[in-house]
Amino acid sequence: MTTTTLSDHIPDLNLITFYAETRRSCFTVMSPWTKFLLLFLIICLVTLSGNIVTIAGLYCVILAAYAGARLPLRNLFAWYALPALFVLSFVGIMAWNEPGIAIISFSVAGQSLVLTDNGILLVIMLLLKALAVMTYSLFFLMTTRYQHFSAMIYRIFPSPIDQIFLMAYRFLFLTLAMTGSILKAVRSRGGGLIHSISMQGRLSAEIFALVFIRSFERSERVHKAMIARGFSGSYSTAVEVPAIHLYEYGIIGICATMVIVVALNDTAVGGLVTL
Amino acid sequence: MQAGILSVAHIHLEDGSFTLFWVIVWWAIALLLISAALFWVRSVKKTDNRKITLAAFCTAAAFAIFQVSIPLFGGVHLNLTPLIGILAGPAIGSFVVLIINILSAAIGHGGWGMIGANLLVNVIEVVIGYTVYRALKKIFTGAFIRGGIATFAGLFCGNIAMIAIILLSEIQGVSQSKSQILAGLSLLAGVNMGVAIIEAVITGMIIAYILRVRPDMLESERP
Repeated sequence: MTTTTLSDHIPDLNLITFYAETRRSCFTVMSPWTKFLLLFLIICLVTLSGNIVTIAGLYCVILAAYAGARLPLRNLFAWYALPALFVLSFVGIMAWNEPGIAIISFSVAGQSLVLTDNGILLVIMLLLKALAVMTYSLFFLMTTRYQHFSAMIYRIFPSPIDQIFLMAYRFLFLTLAMTGSILKAVRSRGGGLIHSISMQGRLSAEIFALVFIRSFERSERVHKAMIARGFSGSYSTAVEVPAIHLYEYGIIGICATMVIVVALNDTAVGGLVTL
Repeated sequence: MQAGILSVAHIHLEDGSFTLFWVIVWWAIALLLISAALFWVRSVKKTDNRKITLAAFCTAAAFAIFQVSIPLFGGVHLNLTPLIGILAGPAIGSFVVLIINILSAAIGHGGWGMIGANLLVNVIEVVIGYTVYRALKKIFTGAFIRGGIATFAGLFCGNIAMIAIILLSEIQGVSQSKSQILAGLSLLAGVNMGVAIIEAVITGMIIAYILRVRPDMLESERP
């Protein structure tokens, strides 16, 4: 666990940036706009398709691309914890009493609870959808350089959202490191051994308040330094985002066609595998 | 500060949960809200560069704190959306939660297509948190009580918004009736509200601490 890794189940931004800046593959030379458009198409596909085979296939293709870019698979599986928790806590409740073949059934306080095959399929389907998009998002982050992301943010968002975004992205690493340092200091003084709920609550609150206060003070210092260097309210980026190559238009076109065909097919076919 | 079980004061919806129609509807409403906040910041209450820098650090701090698991009841992650409202105000707070939602979607905490719906829930938490905190100024003098009540009110309204959004949109693949879905969601909301109490207490403590050390940081304390 590095200073910036505050939790093993949440993606480590330092590690992500390290891969984005150092790891070279055929995906890193691709235009970030192409990867952005592919993300849009993947979201469309998982939103439109109700076919578990299609979604499982999509997930496998994305995972293969992730592995092909020589990105860390073990970390990826650890990072799946949070989206899995969201899906399970959200759909896990609704999966019960879905119509279908009963697999598990019992009653609680006079209410019968039945878990059917369709209920399980529903959970698997939404989990695969979440993991497919998450894996591609991380693949996008880990194969695109920081300067290109900055340039994209500058072009997409209106002011002052772009300014806040760009500065926040820049400060995020400092803040994560600072939070990590504070937590280390607390642990080294025995903070991790406290078992009292009220003491733990107060300690956590003071750590969080300290993070905000230090961030506030740092922002004041940074702002003064920026003013001294001629900052006039515009945090602009001079980097050009690599344009979409001709062959990439072909990839986008093929993928868009596939999304339309699959979506139309899944909507029309129905059947057992279609939820 | 690691824990095995995770809890958050409200859940974030993942991609594929809603149909394309509802994804577009919630995105459109969220964009309208952000446009209104942009108009407010640009034309009505002009924001200086200092505030933009502060908002950026607020975003980074809130995102960093979300990653810390509090070792209570198996591990709790805080959203801090009402606190963002109290610290930055509703307009800048809306920008902050927009950016946090985008950063979160990038790491799998909520879907890209669901940013509209998630943002709507978060903006409600930000606005209610800020409004209740200010409204309670004349009733309670203690920052802890005000902060705690404002946070709980914000998260409570956020939970109601989340349930309303899910009931209206319906989850793809779920064939249960609205009343059955509501029963399931009520159970989830009950758990979320339990975590919201923890977040309310901790936010109250954070605000009391900040007010003691740097009172000028709180936007909602300004006249």
